[in-house]
Amino acid sequence: MSIYARRRAANVAIMSLSLLATAAGLLVLFLILWSLLRHGVPAISSDFFTKNTPAPGNVGGLLNAIYGSFMMTLVGTLVGAPIGIFTGTFLAEFSRGSHLAQAVRFINDILLSAPSIVVGLFIYEVMVVRMGHFSAWAGAATLAIILVPVVVRTTENMLVLVPASLREAAVALGAPQWKVVIMVVYRAALQGMLTGVMLGVARIAGESAPLLFTALNNQFWSTDMNAPMANLPVVIFQFALSPYADWQLLAWGGALLVTVAILALNILARAVANWSNFGK
Amino acid sequence: MDARLHGPSAAGVGLAFRAVRRQRLGDTVFRGLTEVFAIGVLALLGAVIAALAAGALPAFRKFGLEFLVSETWNPVKEVFGALPAIYGTLVTAVIAMMLAVPVAFGIAIFLTELCPPILRRPIGVLVELLAAIPSIIYGVWGLFVVAPVLQTTLQPALIDTFGTVPVVGALFQGPPYGLGVLTAGLILAVMVLPFIAAVIRDVFMTVPAMLRESAYGMGATTAEVVRAIVIPHSRVGIVGGVMLGLGRALGETMAVTFVIGNAHHIRASLLAPGTTISATLANEFTEAVSDLYTSSLIALGLILFVITFLVLAAANFMLWRLSAKEGA
Amino acid sequence: MTYEIEPVESPSRLRPHLIQMPAVDPAKPAAEAKDQPQTKVQIRDLRFYYKNFEALKGVNLTLYDKRVTAFIGPSGCGKSTLLRVLNRIYELYPDQRATGQVLVDGEDILDPRQDLNLLRARIGMVFQKPTPFPMSIYDNVAFGIRLYQRPGPRELDERVEEALRRAALWDEVKDKLHQSGLSLSGGQQQRLCIARAIAVKPEILLLDEPASALDPISTQRIEELIADLKSDYCIVIVTHNMQQAARSSDYTAFMYLGQLIEFDTTETIFTHPMERQTEDYITGRFG
Repeated sequence: MSIYARRRAANVAIMSLSLLATAAGLLVLFLILWSLLRHGVPAISSDFFTKNTPAPGNVGGLLNAIYGSFMMTLVGTLVGAPIGIFTGTFLAEFSRGSHLAQAVRFINDILLSAPSIVVGLFIYEVMVVRMGHFSAWAGAATLAIILVPVVVRTTENMLVLVPASLREAAVALGAPQWKVVIMVVYRAALQGMLTGVMLGVARIAGESAPLLFTALNNQFWSTDMNAPMANLPVVIFQFALSPYADWQLLAWGGALLVTVAILALNILARAVANWSNFGK
Repeated sequence: MDARLHGPSAAGVGLAFRAVRRQRLGDTVFRGLTEVFAIGVLALLGAVIAALAAGALPAFRKFGLEFLVSETWNPVKEVFGALPAIYGTLVTAVIAMMLAVPVAFGIAIFLTELCPPILRRPIGVLVELLAAIPSIIYGVWGLFVVAPVLQTTLQPALIDTFGTVPVVGALFQGPPYGLGVLTAGLILAVMVLPFIAAVIRDVFMTVPAMLRESAYGMGATTAEVVRAIVIPHSRVGIVGGVMLGLGRALGETMAVTFVIGNAHHIRASLLAPGTTISATLANEFTEAVSDLYTSSLIALGLILFVITFLVLAAANFMLWRLSAKEGA
Repeated sequence: MTYEIEPVESPSRLRPHLIQMPAVDPAKPAAEAKDQPQTKVQIRDLRFYYKNFEALKGVNLTLYDKRVTAFIGPSGCGKSTLLRVLNRIYELYPDQRATGQVLVDGEDILDPRQDLNLLRARIGMVFQKPTPFPMSIYDNVAFGIRLYQRPGPRELDERVEEALRRAALWDEVKDKLHQSGLSLSGGQQQRLCIARAIAVKPEILLLDEPASALDPISTQRIEELIADLKSDYCIVIVTHNMQQAARSSDYTAFMYLGQLIEFDTTETIFTHPMERQTEDYITGRFG
């Protein structure tokens, strides 16, 4: 074979492989979604959304788990997002090059990818042990800690994108720095920051490991944040690994619900990010 | 010419001074708040390490450093050793990386060189959606769909083909459980794949168009451009991205717990069940009845945190150096 | 219209009463030619450093009230740097510093005890690229007013309207005051920024290449605006467009490599400059 023919063959081979890789990746995505639909749709019924987790052999649903996940995600977001936004603001506005900022950024990126189960252990040590019992507050605290690094990253990235001329224009009018940031810079970066928070929420909504020993689980309906609370991931964990067919069915239903919710949040976040481009 | 249009009035000046004082206060408060939270992030890291160390202390006091290399895990006799968990964590992560990195490269190359521009966004979004799927879903899918399939197809095939080969064969011994270290590595690979693909694609896209064009302009094939220009230019970013993926793979819990089989022993065969640190924690933490048991589990958590911390610190350091070079 | 060609060795620089005005422009108030210019800003031995690089090398300059002064010169000569010293906006960047004296009405604004926010409320700035804030047109103009004063809603409305009228924007936006400032065209956005700057009643207006990002028609409107505003403010404009400087300004400062090469009335600079470098730049031999 001539050199050129060899080169072309190599090229075709490598490009085919990369095409194959992408097809494989997409195939997996569809396989998972297909499995979820196939096994999970039969679980969806009015009971699914209105009844609590049952004992094996009984009729039931995932109402308490849905509520618990919702509440803990909400509280976790309400606590974690402001912390993340303030820290991101610090990194972007107040000390871009300083050593403190570099250290915070470095540590933040590590926490971003750190094992979430370790965060659960941490909260177990400082909250559950201290309080003497598992609680939804502990679960929410864990989710907040997992959310913070995500929001810090996205907030800083979005704030840095705001052009210096906009800041200078506000300063040139005599505005103090805090007004420049709150009234001008935040408004300019609002869509991006919102997208970042939503993507972070999508991430914590699916977290299961850290909830295992903070919020634990609860077979019954409960709105008491100071007690163990049911949540979708832990229920899925428990039910899927059990030998009972009806529990497994509910696990699939829960898995489908969680996936749909998280994918919807992701798509919504992207829509928010792109919607801002129409105004300009 | 309107006299009102310039020069502040006397009252205006007084208001201005009060406003200035208020603004200075506002500046201090706001800045202080952001600084407090930022330092809080640093403090959080310290707190995590401190809490874990405190919780793990009893176990280390009892077992000493032998804890790290002991294979025994006996809750009844209260003798614990971390080696099976550490071994499983490392092996599953390595398998996952070996499978995921080439595929991730393939996806990144496809998205940056081959893919028609209209499809680039949609396919990129699909890859990112794959990354968004929570790990517990991978676990459930792995347990109910993948493991049975592997049990009946891939694993018998591996045993038949490689089982009798001298050295390699040891990796493929034993009955095909379906669950086990290999399955866990496979599911983990699928999990970290989209993440690594996204990072490598982002790094590929930082290669200046002019560099690519000058290579194409000389008649290089796409594969050659990638191999000779794109990859070398992105070397540091790729390594950083791969290590970030490794960090995630090491710490992954749910995807692994469902399919690893939860057996505290070390076997040569990849088809045997095993355990990882996170799987052990997930399965046993709420069952741990004694303080020593709990402490040993927390010790496992500390070990995992240290391992992932080192990997992630190295990864971020490399990526930071890369972006510093670009900014300069 | 004729000009006296002054002999090169004649030393006096500032003799506005000797200049023949080309034609009486009805837009310019006739009083202008009779007033003696009042000094508004005195710059003495100003040096500016980006880290260790000396970007301004001992500048001495006077800016007159109710006049337009243009800073011209090739890229990198320091004209924007000089402008930005006047409201100390460089303080945002820790690597930049200035030494020397800048006296506004006798007060040295480079004094570290000077309150920067108050200073900037007295000195307005308009940037090269229009920078409307992401809020309504009304809120944009009211932003600066609200920083330091608490006018009632009626008074605020009046001041916003005044500023927009003076900036020649009122008629175009009076029905959509609550639409976002970003919905305006480029030229309108820049006039909005001018309205925003004059709404706070500053004493000095700094314009950093205000029309360079705009189309020719918008540019012309901005220049007409400047001619109108001149009667109330000390205006300093940085421009790389020499024709604009010749059209719009009363005084021109030519800068090169961080030094003030020549400062004189615009007529003088453009018809019989004293320095060789000035003449070379004006005639396009470099820059």
